[in-house]
Amino acid sequence: MRSRIPPPCSAAWPNESPAPAMIAIDFAFPLVNGLHARPASLMQEACLPFAAACRFCNLRNGQRADVRSILELVASDTAAQDACRLEISGADEKKAGRALRAFLRQDLPRADDNLPPPASATVQAAWLPPVFQHDAARVLPGRALAAGIGSARALVLQKTRMVPLGFASGKKDAKKELRLFQDACREMEAELRSQAAAAKNATAAAIMKAHLAMISDPGFRKRISGLISKKKTTAAEAIAKTTATFSRTLRSSPSAYLRERAGDLEDIADRLYEKLYGQSTPYSPRTAPGAHVVVAASLPPSALLSLDRRRLHGLVLGDVGLTSHTAILARAFDIPTVALPAPAIKEISEGEELTVDGQRGLVCREPGPALKRYYKAERSKLQRQGLQLARLKGQQAQSADGCRIEIAANIGGAKELAGAWRHGAEAIGLFRTETLFLERDTPPDEDEQFAAYRQAVISAKDRPVIIRTLDIGGDKPLPYLSLPQEENPNLGCRAVRFYSEQQDLIKCQLRAILRAARHGNLKAMVPMVSAVEEVRLLRRLLAEAGAELRERKIPHAENIEVGIMVETPAAAFFLDRLSPEATFFSIGSNDLLQYFMAVDRGNAKLKDLFDPLHPAFLRLLFQVAAEAKKAGRWLGLCGEMAGDPAFLPLLLGLGLDELSMASGQIPKVKARLRQLKSDECRQLLQRAMQCSSPGEVHEMLRDFNDQPVEAEVVAPELIRLDSTSRNAGEAIKELCDLMELGGRVHDSKALEEAVWRREQQFATDLGFGFALPHGKATTVKSCTIAFLRPRRPIRWSGKNSAPVRAVLLIAIPAAAKGQEHLKLIARLSRRLMHEDFREELLSLRDTDGVLAALRQCLRES
Amino acid sequence: MRIVAVTACSTGIAHTYMAAEQLVKTARHLGHQIKVETQGAMGIENELSREDINTAELVIFAADIAVQNRERFANMKIVEVAVQDAIKNPAALFSRLAE
Repeated sequence: MRSRIPPPCSAAWPNESPAPAMIAIDFAFPLVNGLHARPASLMQEACLPFAAACRFCNLRNGQRADVRSILELVASDTAAQDACRLEISGADEKKAGRALRAFLRQDLPRADDNLPPPASATVQAAWLPPVFQHDAARVLPGRALAAGIGSARALVLQKTRMVPLGFASGKKDAKKELRLFQDACREMEAELRSQAAAAKNATAAAIMKAHLAMISDPGFRKRISGLISKKKTTAAEAIAKTTATFSRTLRSSPSAYLRERAGDLEDIADRLYEKLYGQSTPYSPRTAPGAHVVVAASLPPSALLSLDRRRLHGLVLGDVGLTSHTAILARAFDIPTVALPAPAIKEISEGEELTVDGQRGLVCREPGPALKRYYKAERSKLQRQGLQLARLKGQQAQSADGCRIEIAANIGGAKELAGAWRHGAEAIGLFRTETLFLERDTPPDEDEQFAAYRQAVISAKDRPVIIRTLDIGGDKPLPYLSLPQEENPNLGCRAVRFYSEQQDLIKCQLRAILRAARHGNLKAMVPMVSAVEEVRLLRRLLAEAGAELRERKIPHAENIEVGIMVETPAAAFFLDRLSPEATFFSIGSNDLLQYFMAVDRGNAKLKDLFDPLHPAFLRLLFQVAAEAKKAGRWLGLCGEMAGDPAFLPLLLGLGLDELSMASGQIPKVKARLRQLKSDECRQLLQRAMQCSSPGEVHEMLRDFNDQPVEAEVVAPELIRLDSTSRNAGEAIKELCDLMELGGRVHDSKALEEAVWRREQQFATDLGFGFALPHGKATTVKSCTIAFLRPRRPIRWSGKNSAPVRAVLLIAIPAAAKGQEHLKLIARLSRRLMHEDFREELLSLRDTDGVLAALRQCLRES
Repeated sequence: MRIVAVTACSTGIAHTYMAAEQLVKTARHLGHQIKVETQGAMGIENELSREDINTAELVIFAADIAVQNRERFANMKIVEVAVQDAIKNPAALFSRLAE
């Protein structure tokens, strides 16, 4: 990102001429979800401290925005990898330019780190098991917005949108009208601020803040004020027109996320009308006796928050998207939610019994006994899955062959601690301390830092917390630090390189760290090291900090572990000389990659080169890991690549001690780790290092990740004697659910579908009291057999079919490459033709006996 | 009687082998000689040799899909049944052969 003075971007926001740019920063928009409310508010915050005018321009579509207007930013319709430009002009433009450059490089790419994955609950109900087909008229297909199953009576909320008529002040007095509008805005800001502060749920608070940002948005306010004072319109008309303008832009966006922000704006408009005209809110919280499912064609986030959630068992909404704030809130509160098309939602009447199926994306009206039994089974599966996840959270992270890797969280402040532990972090692998130092006029004092670090170790309860000492440089100006301006701040005096000039500042931080270390397992880590002297300097400062505390008689830890971040190629090739100065190393893969490849990670044109799977980079990592092992030092990795489950095989192959990542990634990485074998991963890494391009490595890794998992064909948790299933449908569902709970399939619904498609060619009950349903699907991780004996014999394929007393369900991965498992299944199938074996399976009293019989059959040759 | 047979079901996972086993069991019980080739998910197994075919008096196809290398059995008497018939009611199948 070099400064230059390009011709100003030609397209302009209506009625505004392009400002001549003094500093221009070109960048590719880094976030997959585009420029939505959250990154927009971060961008706005980043430019607030400066007086300079900051303009954003999307070079792809020519849309321009004032960076101080979140709405204009959001309305710029910026998608991932769009070429963008920031133009900064004014008195402090150089300072602002540096800060924004740093923001674009470091903060913006992380803005979505903890966004809930949108794909989790999106399965479209294309195929439905037979139990739904009998009751087809009662089943309304829709789209799942929040997972779970909820049943209760329908409570229908209706809303008529109307814009109040007349002047809020009662007469045509533009000044008075304007004042009333501004008062209403201020009042609403205050309300939202206090609601956000009082919100117990972090997601709810974030949405309040997003609304606060919209109502405070200068672009939004200026337009409304302009209409009131210049065009002499009523406040309501001005609000309605402005809302409509922005909504239109938002709704025409190709990004679903942006389209859904239009609903937020309308919510704000409604609340403003209410303030100005005293009109009662269209959704005053209605009380309904007992549990209910709320049905509403549109439900603004504020209305959802006003509902009594203890009695709210489900939500049926109109045409609402997965990333609308209402849907995000529903997921945050675990309310099963389904969106229905408009005609379907009108069919539902008040008081009907509804089951909201957030798994398949369906709403069932007045479900019959068969469907009720289906949902009972589904609920019990979800419940057991919840228990399993809770157990996994507490389990040590290790590979299938028992190779242990600590899975830790990266955090930017004490506020993120709770989330880290909630996601099952085993340590804090990287506490970025910069956030404590940014956006303020004086540095945080020792006590303030001590409080933050102590909070971290105490909440960690003996789990390790690695605090990275200040990582700041010429690109992130701090008003109280007079760091020199540099041509190329990334290669300049950042991090440990300015410590010798700012010894007091660093000693203050080290004193806070030493004091906090008394309370738990705290370590310090030095960033940007490329020479032995740099670490020695830090150790000297640490010793002095200790001496100062001793003198002041302040309790502190006598010594702490000091580690080194490996983020320069120099450090990577120097571990043998650095290791006497440190007890551990952690690879900062983002910077290491950038310096190793000589690629600015914000440069869109070079993004193919900024690829951690470049074989040369893998060789470098391998070299670092080998050197660390030789030196007997602990080695972690805390860059972006640590959190990608797809990269995990290569990282496990490196033999690292720790991976530290954004909290939200932890459960996925832990789950994937349990499937991997370290020796296979080591071999994979060796092969990857021999590839000629990143593309080859990606392909190799994809093949590896698609491989079926190794597991025994039978297992005790896959056997159910004394089943209450009454028919083929229930038995198949029960067995598929056992497979999913046993970790053998990703999605039991997909297996169920494959099995039924087979079953419909011809029924698999073969007249010996046995049925042998089977299916081949991509969802199956490994060849598996599940076994079930119903309490009462099942008429499998109709009233006249012979009773079935045992069901064996066989699941085969679509990409079954190894023949071993298929051979086992073939052997079992053959054995079933023999009466003695069938008798055994029917008569054995307990699970262990059945398991032993199946195992023995599979072993025989 | 010397019999050769081929079994092949649509997924080739279970029924191919169940049918093969059932044919072998029933044939032996009835005192016939039989060799069964399976065409399943693992490909062709227990493949019938030219000699097996030349010396056989009768061919059984228990198949729900097209039998591979069918030309091997040109000019031979072939009895074709669905896989499930071979599994569910092999006795009936063999009594048909006797006719």
